[in-house]
Amino acid sequence: MIELDAEVVEREVRIAASPEVIFSFFTDPERAVRWMGIEATLDPRPGGIYRVHIQGPHVASGRYVELIPYSRVVFTWGWEAEDELVRPGSSTVEIALIPDGKETIVRLTHRDLPVAERDGHAHGWDHFLPRLVLAAAGADPGPDPWAIAAGQ
Amino acid sequence: METVLKAIAAPRRREILRLVWSQELSAGEIASHFAVSRPAISQHLGVLESAGLLAERRVGTRRLYRACPEKVTELRDFLEEFWDDRLQLLKQAAEAAAEEQS
Repeated sequence: MIELDAEVVEREVRIAASPEVIFSFFTDPERAVRWMGIEATLDPRPGGIYRVHIQGPHVASGRYVELIPYSRVVFTWGWEAEDELVRPGSSTVEIALIPDGKETIVRLTHRDLPVAERDGHAHGWDHFLPRLVLAAAGADPGPDPWAIAAGQ
Repeated sequence: METVLKAIAAPRRREILRLVWSQELSAGEIASHFAVSRPAISQHLGVLESAGLLAERRVGTRRLYRACPEKVTELRDFLEEFWDDRLQLLKQAAEAAAEEQS
């Protein structure tokens, strides 16, 4: 039987910031690394590069698919290291920004993951999304503990 | 010794150490045993490595890991010594108490 790469990770967080501000944390390299990774190359237009160096050999890589200011960002996602199962561009991350009073609900949907990679990616988003909640609201989430301990 | 004790303070790192105790595994193979992201596994491997509990070997682009039994032996000796001292103190305290009572 063929194992379909159809696993989905869904997460939702509420941030005390406007959709405009949160949108920039997915498109501006300087802001992007405040919550995830140590270096980012972002070309926020359909087909443009989405590349975030998390730490060590872990570089997330894909392309922007869709950008609707300030409500939706879609980009493909995978890992550059050769021994990774999720190849660059093979899965898709959708970010939906829904204003709710002075806050914004951020809905993340990561699709087309292999079964074996679902929980690992869920763990990753559970690590990074709380950092986005702080950073986008103007607080400092501090350096990423995953990157520090790995000697970055 | 403190870095070693800190390294094994995390349950996940002890599990990783057990995994590579008798076999050499790549980071990907180690990660496949846990519902944890790859960067998090790398972080644990980094901590274990800098404590001297893990040895890394590169084969092409692959990094292979195995436990360093020498360092674990060192840790065991440390704990035993610590335990012996405590037992000695307990014995002395018990004897002193017994003397006071008599």
